[in-house]
Amino acid sequence: MSFRHPFPARNVLRSAVLLSCLALAAPAFAQDRTLTVGQNRDPQNLDPIDTFRLSWGSIGSNVFDGLVFRDEDLEIQPGLATDWEFLDDDTRIRFHLRDGVEFHNGEPFNADAVKYTFDRLLGEEGLKGPQRSNYTSIREVVVVDERTVDFLMERPDPVLITKLAGYGAMIVPPKYIEEVGEEAFDMKPVGTGPFQVTEYIPTVGVKLAKFDNYWNGEAKVDAVNIRFIPEDATRIAELLSGGVDISMNIPSPSVETIEQNPNVNLLAVDGPTVVLTRFDTSKGITADPRVRKAIAMAVDRDTIVQALLGGLANPISSAQSAKSFGNDTALEPYPFDPEGAKALLAEAGVEPGTEITLDMPSNDESFREVAQVIAAFLGQVGLNVNIRNHERSVYFDDIIENGKTGEMYYFGWGGWTFDFDNTAYLLYHSGERNNPYIEDEKLDTLLDQQRETYDREVREGALQEVARYAHEQALDLPLYNLSTIYGVSNRVEGFVPAPDERARYMDVTVK
Amino acid sequence: MPVFRFILQRVLQAVLVTLVVTLFVAFAVRLTGDPAVMLTSESSSVTPEDLNRIREALGLNQPFHMQYFDFIRSLVTFDLGNSFFRGSIRDLIGIALPSTLLLALASMGISILISIPLGIHAALHKGGISDQVIRVLSLVGLSFPNFWLGIMFVLLFSIAFPILPASGFESWSALILPATTIGIILTATNVRLVRTQMLETLSAQYVMVARAKGLNERAVIYKHALRNAAIAIVTFLGLQFGNLIGGLVVVELVFNWPGMGTLSIEAIAQRDYPLLQATVSILAIMIVAVNLAVDLVYGLIDPRIRVA
Repeated sequence: MSFRHPFPARNVLRSAVLLSCLALAAPAFAQDRTLTVGQNRDPQNLDPIDTFRLSWGSIGSNVFDGLVFRDEDLEIQPGLATDWEFLDDDTRIRFHLRDGVEFHNGEPFNADAVKYTFDRLLGEEGLKGPQRSNYTSIREVVVVDERTVDFLMERPDPVLITKLAGYGAMIVPPKYIEEVGEEAFDMKPVGTGPFQVTEYIPTVGVKLAKFDNYWNGEAKVDAVNIRFIPEDATRIAELLSGGVDISMNIPSPSVETIEQNPNVNLLAVDGPTVVLTRFDTSKGITADPRVRKAIAMAVDRDTIVQALLGGLANPISSAQSAKSFGNDTALEPYPFDPEGAKALLAEAGVEPGTEITLDMPSNDESFREVAQVIAAFLGQVGLNVNIRNHERSVYFDDIIENGKTGEMYYFGWGGWTFDFDNTAYLLYHSGERNNPYIEDEKLDTLLDQQRETYDREVREGALQEVARYAHEQALDLPLYNLSTIYGVSNRVEGFVPAPDERARYMDVTVK
Repeated sequence: MPVFRFILQRVLQAVLVTLVVTLFVAFAVRLTGDPAVMLTSESSSVTPEDLNRIREALGLNQPFHMQYFDFIRSLVTFDLGNSFFRGSIRDLIGIALPSTLLLALASMGISILISIPLGIHAALHKGGISDQVIRVLSLVGLSFPNFWLGIMFVLLFSIAFPILPASGFESWSALILPATTIGIILTATNVRLVRTQMLETLSAQYVMVARAKGLNERAVIYKHALRNAAIAIVTFLGLQFGNLIGGLVVVELVFNWPGMGTLSIEAIAQRDYPLLQATVSILAIMIVAVNLAVDLVYGLIDPRIRVA
């Protein structure tokens, strides 16, 4: 369906109706240079250490800076630190800080602010939020002088520099927080970023204004109005009707509608999120690697990507995207081969017509279709799949964590560091909350090893070995890597889609 | 004094109902999931100790009766306390409740403006073509799911003819589409009610007497028939208000209206116990209060009802 405007009388009608509602429509018509963005969720709290939500990233990344930042090509760039060096056998990392940076409230950025940020994250306040656990490899931050800090490490952390671009490591202003208190900071935080928060209305939106003293150039729009619109259909309607200039979180069923509309464009980049079905490797027929391989060979992933996801995803051979550190390009997914699958199932003694169960969370519209297609593919090799839906938190909190899944179950993960360590550890290391079934000494050793060294080659080798081993054993069935999709109006120029949804609006202009 | 006794009885009943509702809500929400897990579900390196610390900080390790008591105290003192994740609940409700009430009143207003003239017209032309058309249309109206009608309005008035905002509440014109959506759905029922009530009163003896006196038709209809029919209609609208608040949730989502429905849904998804308890309880209290008010007014008007 396309929503063009074939009626020449539109403008007449529009002005007539506009005139008649003029009395009603008086307040809040946006100023000229305001960019309006629609996103699906309210982060509910703007303090960087209180959240893990992607919906924070597209706001906070415009308000805060870290010591480093990761650009849209996923390269780490200097941020509030100009450079850094590893000292004392990598147990101390020294950061040299940028001069002449100030927070939105006029407070200067310096070594004390860095120390305060990490003391707060690792101390009492951090305990209440979800970010702290990512940074516990840091023992202490020590101020050397006004422009230099040392990070003393508790243990090696090869992903630390990337993590310093993450939410929890965003630098916050000590004086401001002490003055206004933690609760006020949740609602109206202050950072060093190109925009400052002017108003945050829960469930409605956030308004940002250009910060004139930004250290790294000047934003091209005066203001950004970020609206929270949870309903997909409503968000798309706002994009098509011009109510928002950029819509984040475009669901794959809406791709066609947007592509056909002449006033909006679709921008897609490979995102961090991978989708897989995992197996109960501990019991039942899926304890047999031959059965798991057979299932992998019976599912045609290219068809799923093309027919259901509009081509906006890439088939994967391990639980990571092509951009992820640790991805092995030589590793090929199992080929689509229903006959081979049948033979393997027969060899494993699985009777045609055997019933298996696939568990999934009920609110995932796009995977629901995928699950049905997987069931159809498996039906063709003689496995009858029952799809069981669970409410999302019940699914992750109980069904997966307590190992109550059927033979197959859905798992989706956005490894925000784009480093396979993040995903592989939680999928394959024994005792992890999301890994109820796999206990494998070889995997544990490889995963622990790569966490103890900063040597990129050693780490890459170990992570690729994990990927290969998981593939050989068919521990799970990696399906695809989802694209991050933005709908952007023709009025917008200069928007670079961020793979990790940390959209930046500094260089965007609106006609 | 029987009137006092009656009022006291009904008020005590309402308080009891409210207590049962809040107890049920507080109990049920805790069965469904752990907010600490929800909070960290997108984090990759969470240990059981981390989860325990978060539970401790959120007060989840306290026994249920303590948590419930805290909640009731916050409700009674109108302080409402803090949400797990997003600050003062009173501030959140302060935005959501007026928006929901505004939308509810606007929809009822639209519905009354349409259904009273149409209902009277249908009653006066009973069996005629216009009566048939009105009845068929109201049946069609009853059969629409409200979210579907809402989406159709958006497609028509925001995308095909972009004259009204598709969602949100950034300008007063944004009220038109959601209020009309619910207004039309309400009208479908109300037209039938007005028609039936008018038919009943029009055939009553006092209307015959009025006509026999030689009063003109206008005076008969508006002064005698409509006034008498109004008692039943007003009562029904009062009760409908309660249902309406419940039905708003879906329409609020479609139009991204910053109301109580949207707030409750978010609280459910997050397992934000304090916020969910507060929103559901306030909605329940409102419905109980409207029912109580209707009860009292009715009882005062018609002494037969006081016998409880």
